[in-house]
Amino acid sequence: MDSSAYLDDLESKSINIIREAYWQYKDKLAVLWSMGKDSTALVHLVRKAFLGEVPVSFIHIDTTFKFKQIYAFRDKYAKDWGINLIIAKNTAALAECMSPDKGRFDCCDSLKTEALKQVIESFGFKALLLAIRRDEHLIRAKERYFSQRDKEFQWDYKDQPLEMWAQYYKTEHEEGGHLRVHPMLHWREIDIWRYIKREKLPVIDLYFAKNNKRYRSIGCQCCCRAVESEANSIDKIIKELAFTRVAERSGRAQDKEKEYTMQKLRSLGYM
Amino acid sequence: MENALKVVVTGEVDAGKSSLIGRLLYDTGSLHKGQMAEISRVSGINGSFLEFAYLLDGLEEERLGQLTIDTTQIFCRNAKSGFLFIDVPGHVELLKNMLCGSSYSQAAVLVADVTKPLENGSIRHINVLKFLGIGHIVVVLNKMDIIGFNQDIFERAKAEISAFIDSVGMKAECFIPLSARQGENLVKKSAKIFWYKGPCLIAALNSLVRSNKKEKKRGFYFPIQDVYIRKGKPVFVGTILSGRIKKNDRVHVSPEGKPDRIKTIRVFGKNKLSAQAPESIGLELASADGFRRGQIIYKDGQLKPSAEVSARILCVQPIRPEDKLFFSCATQQTLCSIKQINKFSSIASTITSASKSGLDKADVAEVVIAMQEPVVVKRFCQLEALGRFVLRKGREICAAGIIP
Repeated sequence: MDSSAYLDDLESKSINIIREAYWQYKDKLAVLWSMGKDSTALVHLVRKAFLGEVPVSFIHIDTTFKFKQIYAFRDKYAKDWGINLIIAKNTAALAECMSPDKGRFDCCDSLKTEALKQVIESFGFKALLLAIRRDEHLIRAKERYFSQRDKEFQWDYKDQPLEMWAQYYKTEHEEGGHLRVHPMLHWREIDIWRYIKREKLPVIDLYFAKNNKRYRSIGCQCCCRAVESEANSIDKIIKELAFTRVAERSGRAQDKEKEYTMQKLRSLGYM
Repeated sequence: MENALKVVVTGEVDAGKSSLIGRLLYDTGSLHKGQMAEISRVSGINGSFLEFAYLLDGLEEERLGQLTIDTTQIFCRNAKSGFLFIDVPGHVELLKNMLCGSSYSQAAVLVADVTKPLENGSIRHINVLKFLGIGHIVVVLNKMDIIGFNQDIFERAKAEISAFIDSVGMKAECFIPLSARQGENLVKKSAKIFWYKGPCLIAALNSLVRSNKKEKKRGFYFPIQDVYIRKGKPVFVGTILSGRIKKNDRVHVSPEGKPDRIKTIRVFGKNKLSAQAPESIGLELASADGFRRGQIIYKDGQLKPSAEVSARILCVQPIRPEDKLFFSCATQQTLCSIKQINKFSSIASTITSASKSGLDKADVAEVVIAMQEPVVVKRFCQLEALGRFVLRKGREICAAGIIP
């Protein structure tokens, strides 16, 4: 299998899952796009799955604390790709000056999870496509391709449904809840970069090293730290990832504030 | 560059599955800095007794309870394409999660405790591998350090497991004496187990990568997943299960085998002249008939619709005769009922019994399924994707099935 065939395989599985979710949910399906490398690859996969005519909405959960490059990237490509973009903010919490200063757990829960709850409710979405991957975090590694969230957004990670052969899933959501669909669960960080290279996808320049530092994972400016790296091109990033001993989300504060913070955030409905 | 070989690591509770994977990750340099620091912190400074299981058991409940609840996957580097290890729970109550993880695998490592006689967990997991048709099994006899690397004890344990694997009609690739805790015979041959002449674990897995490469040439099968209307015309989208298709090829559409012709092969932004498994594509047919999800476009031979299917199923929920069941194979779905149970046994035992009226959780049974609408299937050995299916009860998958 050459490099291209291996990426075809990853891509095809993702497209199959995206189409399966759409078959079940039609316009009650939406895509979460954070403008990071993974969800931008997901946007591309969605465009491929629908042969260019995308019948679903995209959601950006905007905490207002994102890097300014993220906003510029969003506005450019939402327009270039003709994306129907919904910008979701928890305006009530922002009016009360919610910020990481009030505690990172509460800030993530309020400006991300709660904002997501509000947008799901007001548009009546029943299923969401998310670009999470198993190799990002131990808790995400426990996920299913089709993952239930109940009315309160809770994830019952102790009793997940059976999925067989990456072919059969529980695709119906429970009453009152919604479904998280993870078409890229089987991709690794290095696969994403190889795919970005092959498909010539745009990425935010924060990922490329400047003054020997780069971001491996991006989100809110206040909660992301750059890691040491000399990789200032996609090729160099791919090379770096084959040998690095630094974790992808090592610069993400919410992952390691306390042990199990990610598990608790996720069990409450965090991405 | 290629996909990593997917290897499920199975075995009885406390045989050392998670520890084995953890140790392999450690010895192959697959861990990142934070994990290395955490190992040292939790395990103390003495390098010979590292605790590895929590590298995979990420849930708080798993770490506090020192058990694996749900399946996980983790990448292990090696000189080649690497391995994707699938960790699964050993407890019988967690069969559903064990089955889920195992179904993704191409090969298996069965971890057994060399100090114990053949355990129920080993029996159960060998039965699951047999059910799933996973042919490549490497048996690891772990905890050799506890018995002072004694060859006689190893040979006795090997003979017992080997006899059981033979009895279910399978064959192990090799039996490796090993100590996951001390790292003996994992990534290099152990000096302490000098009497063992076979490969270490990584070498055994590398030889599986090579044998797994042989792909059979098979016909073109394409289940319609959905129909998108593009420029006023129906485009049948789906994933090619096997084989290859070219523009203008003559094809048939199930269930009647209606003849048709490939007019266009569509992907995002362009048309293609040919496509092959496992691509996800869109097809326009010459007739543009009103085909729908569940129908299968195929090229050669015949696909005969069946109103009844004989199969082997493994239940993760009880099935009663009055239960309303759905049969799903590829994108086909129809109401069905279990007409006959010919033979059944529990996945956890070696005893087979004659028929009964219903099936319990963890039962494996040979059944005849009656379909409300005829379906097209193939034998598992001919085409995996059309030779396996699931049964659904309500929203849940209640059983997995294989057509022998």
